[in-house]
Amino acid sequence: MSITLDQVTKRYQGVPVVNDVSLDIGDGEFFVLLGPSGSGKSTLLRAIAGLSGVDHGRISLHGRDVTHVAARGRGVGLVFQNYALFRHMTVAENIEFALRVRRVKAAERRQRRQELLRLVALEGMDQRLPAQLSGGQQQRVAVARALAHKPEVLLLDEPFGALDAKIREELRRTIREVQRELGITTVLVTHDQEEAFALADRIGVMNLGRLLEIGRPHELYTRPATRFVATFLGAANLILARQTKDGIRFGERPVSARAAAPIHGAREHEVVAVVRPEEIEVAPSREALSSGYMCKGAVDEIMFTGALERMRIRLDGGNDSPSLAYSNGDGTPYLEVTRTLHEQRAFQVGRGQTVAIGVRRVHVLPTPLSSFTVCAPNEALAGALTQQPLLVELATRMKTRISARLEPQLGVPTAACGDKAAFPGTTVIASQPDVAHQAEWLLKRGADEVLILPGNASPPQRVLIHWADEPVRSATLAVSASMLRHVSAEAVYVGIMPDVTPSAQRPHGMRALLDARSEAQAVHGLEMRTELRFGEVAHELARQLGEVPGQMLILGVCEVARLVERFGTLLESARWPVLIVRRENESEPSQAQHAISTAVVADHG
Amino acid sequence: MALRQPNVLPGFGLTFGFTTFFLSALVLLPLCALVLMAASMQWHDFVHVVLSPRALGSYRLSFGASFLAAAINLVFGFIIAWTLVRYEFPGRKLIDALIDMPFALPTAVSGIALTTVFAQNGWIGQYLEPLGIKVAYTWIGVTVALTLIGMPFVVRSVQPALLEVQRDLEDAAETLGAGRFYVFRRIILPTVLPALLTGFTLAFARAVGEYGSVIFIAGNLPLKTEITPLLIVIHLEEFDYKGAAALGFVMLVISFCMLLTINLLQAWGRRRHVQSAR
Repeated sequence: MSITLDQVTKRYQGVPVVNDVSLDIGDGEFFVLLGPSGSGKSTLLRAIAGLSGVDHGRISLHGRDVTHVAARGRGVGLVFQNYALFRHMTVAENIEFALRVRRVKAAERRQRRQELLRLVALEGMDQRLPAQLSGGQQQRVAVARALAHKPEVLLLDEPFGALDAKIREELRRTIREVQRELGITTVLVTHDQEEAFALADRIGVMNLGRLLEIGRPHELYTRPATRFVATFLGAANLILARQTKDGIRFGERPVSARAAAPIHGAREHEVVAVVRPEEIEVAPSREALSSGYMCKGAVDEIMFTGALERMRIRLDGGNDSPSLAYSNGDGTPYLEVTRTLHEQRAFQVGRGQTVAIGVRRVHVLPTPLSSFTVCAPNEALAGALTQQPLLVELATRMKTRISARLEPQLGVPTAACGDKAAFPGTTVIASQPDVAHQAEWLLKRGADEVLILPGNASPPQRVLIHWADEPVRSATLAVSASMLRHVSAEAVYVGIMPDVTPSAQRPHGMRALLDARSEAQAVHGLEMRTELRFGEVAHELARQLGEVPGQMLILGVCEVARLVERFGTLLESARWPVLIVRRENESEPSQAQHAISTAVVADHG
Repeated sequence: MALRQPNVLPGFGLTFGFTTFFLSALVLLPLCALVLMAASMQWHDFVHVVLSPRALGSYRLSFGASFLAAAINLVFGFIIAWTLVRYEFPGRKLIDALIDMPFALPTAVSGIALTTVFAQNGWIGQYLEPLGIKVAYTWIGVTVALTLIGMPFVVRSVQPALLEVQRDLEDAAETLGAGRFYVFRRIILPTVLPALLTGFTLAFARAVGEYGSVIFIAGNLPLKTEITPLLIVIHLEEFDYKGAAALGFVMLVISFCMLLTINLLQAWGRRRHVQSAR
């Protein structure tokens, strides 16, 4: 491996800007770190270069641990967005800088300089000053300068940011050629997905300091595992669907699909489906569709963008309409659709026209957190909880919606629940004195995840993870991973053994801890710390949560019946958010990790 | 060309007129008067006044101490500016404001304050005394006073230049393998050199003309701790206006030569810099 990052964390004023990033980059690989501004990608690059230290974790270059080695000793070449050329030196002096530092002889320097100038197609520019060159040329000089000392790794920090489109493309090609010719391991940081697709062997997508997913461009585009990657790489319609025994349903309508691995067991549950704009077909009528019919809609907006036509189609909101996970602004559900010229010729549409909508391909995200349903005994409480800042923040980050549901009998032991039988997604209740009973009530009636929110809760900085029953381990990890993608917090798994554990058993506890950690990492891409405590479970958790503010607890349970008895005091005194994950005692727990793609079979029924 | 360009201030003619008028009234005419006054002396008298051992001693002290003070300011002013620009620490704004104090203080006040501190029984002086270092009433005291007076000039000229040195440049140099000293010498220094020279010139010019703060701490022993401006005042007190003018004329010439040299140096440096910035 050329570059190995192991749990690298960098905090800025206590907030992790790079959060537990582990990554292996192979020899000669072109790796692109992609993410919005503020996602920590540049900080990570600077950490690899040695320009900023890390608070935790290790960095190795070609097997050499360089965590505590200064930048000048790391043997990397770095290219900056603003070129950072030495303006009082000529092109030749700039390129030879690294060689001069190393006291290389003049003849050798000159030879190397000629070589590099040829490589970046700037022959004969030796004696110019940087200010006499165009932006594109300056960046070429910067690339040549970064390569002069034959670094083992080339790092590029948004190198095309300051250039206009034409030159950007040209330079992109040059950099790709240079990289191929030298076979140098390269890491490029960008926020531009097109750039990432054009250059990368593999892409790592970062958000909120976390490395969310790593994969080849095509893989990430067609089979993203997270909402963020699905929407950041190209456009995506996120649809709340139901996973049933027979396949996927949008709204009331079954869209027969080829077998898809269920996220949690065989039970029916809500999932988030990704439908790319180009996978949607429009036709004058349902019969004319060649793909699975989904619903009807009215064309709201058409934009011509050259090769493609972009449309927004307003769904009619009827019973058979799919429910969108996220609708822009005014709450009207829109589908984004793109069509090729070929499709446009086959069926011309105008604004306001009603069309039948079909879906060619659906990809189901493996995330167990689909949407939020606020549950309260009366309207006022439900309204207040819907506005809770942390919940709103979470829903926005997850690009999902918050719906409200009234349960007048909430918490009354014998009462049945209201109208609908199932609780889709995550059920949210407010923290109050009898909250443990309410949680138990909901879990017993089929809720899979219950989030208990104190009124003043803010985004957590530390998430404690604990499962009380072993069978729920995998599900708890899956939920934790999903949650932690959307908050910039560190994850800590707390293993708790009884106080009286004989010392012979303690190594066993440690092993369980390490197993949990490696499962989280391997299966869910979640990096977490582990802590082993001894004592009574609820008491230990309460103690740890009380230590510092800004924490959250994710608690996995199987035995709902004893929830109040086991965790009543912990939940009732809760000044912190608690997310309870319940799963049946399942035999085959963890298939959730694999992204599920299903080709929708034509459905004219 | 410059005439036709529309500008915020009214026409070139008017502004240029003001420029000449102000420069003439405030700078050129008084200087001419000085030169004329000196010129009205007999050559013999002139030489006698100007080359007397006492005068020569005062030149040496005035220009020597000024140069030394400006040089000290060059180094420490740079360090102060660096600290203020590069670090964020509590009280930074306060220190930044303190820099300007020597500008605002009547120089006599600084002189008295310095004397109090550096006299043999003063706060610092009492500890230097046993070491055999006498500050007050020696040339060292003169230098200390002139350093205080000139310090803000260097800090204020270097600060904006340092702000311009991008962190990225240092980072780039570091990844290319350069050590700290190398980065300083090859990257930072060339960028701030013109500003440093400006600060040096200003501090030096100010020090040469300084009178108020020095006379308190210098002790004013003829041949030893007597600065030229003081000698001029002594001549004036003896109603020897011509002698005073002669000394003033000499100061003028020496100052002008030195400033011209520095300015030429600076122009040369700037030309290189501007060339590279184009």
